[in-house]
Amino acid sequence: MVLYTALIAGAMVMLFPFFWMVSSSLKTFQEVNLSPPTLLPTDPQWANYAEAWGSPPSGFGRYFFNSLVVAVVGTAIQLFTGIMAAYAFARLKFRFNNLLFMLVLATMMIPFETRIVPNYVLIRQIPLVGGNSIFGEGGSGLYDTYAGMILPGVASAFAVFLLRQAFMAVPRDYWDALRMDGASHWTFLWRVLIPMTMPAVLTVVLFGFIGRWNELLWPLIATQSESIRPVQLGLMLFSGDEGSLYHLLMAATTLVAVPGIIFFLFVQRRFIEGLTAFGVKG
Amino acid sequence: MSAEIIMRRRSKQRRKERIWLPALYLAPTLLLMWAFDIYPIFLSAWMSLWRWGIKAEEFIGLDNYKRVFEDIGSGPGGATGEVGNSLLVTAFYVIGTVPVTIIIAFVIANMLNSKIRFSGILRTAYFVPYVTSTVAAGLAFVWLLNPQIGVLNSALESVGLPPQQWLLDPEPAAPKVLAALGIGWSESLPEFLEGPSVALVCVIAFSVWNSLGFAVVIILAGLITIDPQVKEAARMDGVNSWQMATRITMPLVSPTLFLLLIVSTISAFQSFNEVYVLTSGGGYGAGAGSPLDSTLTLPVLIFRHLYERPSSVGFAAALSMLLFVVVLGVVLLQFRLAERRVHYE
Repeated sequence: MVLYTALIAGAMVMLFPFFWMVSSSLKTFQEVNLSPPTLLPTDPQWANYAEAWGSPPSGFGRYFFNSLVVAVVGTAIQLFTGIMAAYAFARLKFRFNNLLFMLVLATMMIPFETRIVPNYVLIRQIPLVGGNSIFGEGGSGLYDTYAGMILPGVASAFAVFLLRQAFMAVPRDYWDALRMDGASHWTFLWRVLIPMTMPAVLTVVLFGFIGRWNELLWPLIATQSESIRPVQLGLMLFSGDEGSLYHLLMAATTLVAVPGIIFFLFVQRRFIEGLTAFGVKG
Repeated sequence: MSAEIIMRRRSKQRRKERIWLPALYLAPTLLLMWAFDIYPIFLSAWMSLWRWGIKAEEFIGLDNYKRVFEDIGSGPGGATGEVGNSLLVTAFYVIGTVPVTIIIAFVIANMLNSKIRFSGILRTAYFVPYVTSTVAAGLAFVWLLNPQIGVLNSALESVGLPPQQWLLDPEPAAPKVLAALGIGWSESLPEFLEGPSVALVCVIAFSVWNSLGFAVVIILAGLITIDPQVKEAARMDGVNSWQMATRITMPLVSPTLFLLLIVSTISAFQSFNEVYVLTSGGGYGAGAGSPLDSTLTLPVLIFRHLYERPSSVGFAAALSMLLFVVVLGVVLLQFRLAERRVHYE
């Protein structure tokens, strides 16, 4: 009983900020400024959401679209490159296999902010794009483009690690049997291995997607046009413009937070299983 | 077909399998990692030797590093410069978040691991903040902590306590709390002993709230692997619940706790988003690190030099090398100190 009380009290502390966010988002300007505050809105103002949605110059629609592009494309590339590398590490025999794998894992130790400064310079110098010459000079490279937002960080050591563990758990007999029939590594990987390791693949997709969706620092540095910036930046901008109108700010915040939370609630079992695999085997 | 030809074919086949195939499969990942993870370390080291704006302006050798170390060493107590201050703030932040998160998570994970109903729903409740974007969750916190009309101050007032400035308060928190309890603070003590500012404590509290679910899930994963018979046997021997936690459970999940310690330390040193969202005062973060730089962690200082100051990119690169070395040093230290105590089966 004590256990329950403690756990439920803890859970309520964890969820209270969300409850308060939604409650405030449905109040009028007068009610949200009341002291002491009302727990629930006396007359829910659903129109706040429409007002918040249309409030940034280009509306939140554009920001959501940009986030979707970055998250979907980024996750797809991460998954594809991760699967290929994980297959090589798990199934192919070659020199320096372990050494290269350790090197890949070691990149997790490099702080994000250490890479930010050089990458900010680097994406401007990618040759032959954005008006750049073959030596990467003269234009702006991938600065202020979707590709510039997506490419750095798209290769994920975590994804390679997780997939490699999953691939290694599949018995070798499957490969030996297919090999007799003359199947190639490529066929084996996509026709047999991937369907068998779907949980790990989905975990990588989920982590990639949520990570990308929530990104803040890199898009802020890599872009300058509001028209291609993702939704987290849109919300930051909104908080500066309308920061004192808390009912609208909380409506916008709810709009940004809720899709992620709902997405998570649908897939949570898989998500947590994925983390569990990481914890046990790491 | 002669044996020689077959042999040659086989060796050709082997070459293909041993070199070209792995190379093809690894190329995308290794190229991307080289370009955006590894090469940048070298580029950063190179840039740190320059005065650098949009592009390289002037080669200045080790001047950026000289500036870093002069700044750290300046003033009494050695912590008044911008860099020294940010190192101190970062230390407060890491020490304030990592152990607290792991300890609370350990307790909660143990409670969730006992046979109770609704443990799935409860686990989800603890995990939701972790998947919510820092911007959304952070703005919800800013609203809770609003000094004029925030719900936290209303709650304080309703129980007769004075309202606080929270995120706007640059004063150290510890002397304030002690003063409220009637204990004085000696002004002669070194300044860093006063600890983090009230604002930084708020940021730390937010981070603990935000990352707790992750730690709970990782520890739960470790707890599930413990053989129930071990605990049963200990209980038969009359072990109480405190001894159970510290003598039995803790050693058995120590590899998991150690992994968690390393991962959370690395991520705590990279704390940018939390500070940026909670302290910038809205918009694109001109105020990040406020009030009076009392929440200015090293990553935020790097951002400030990279983004807001002209010709300061080289200096930002020097600072990012400093961050790299500090993180590497602390993690290696943790390996040396903790590895011996970690119990592997």
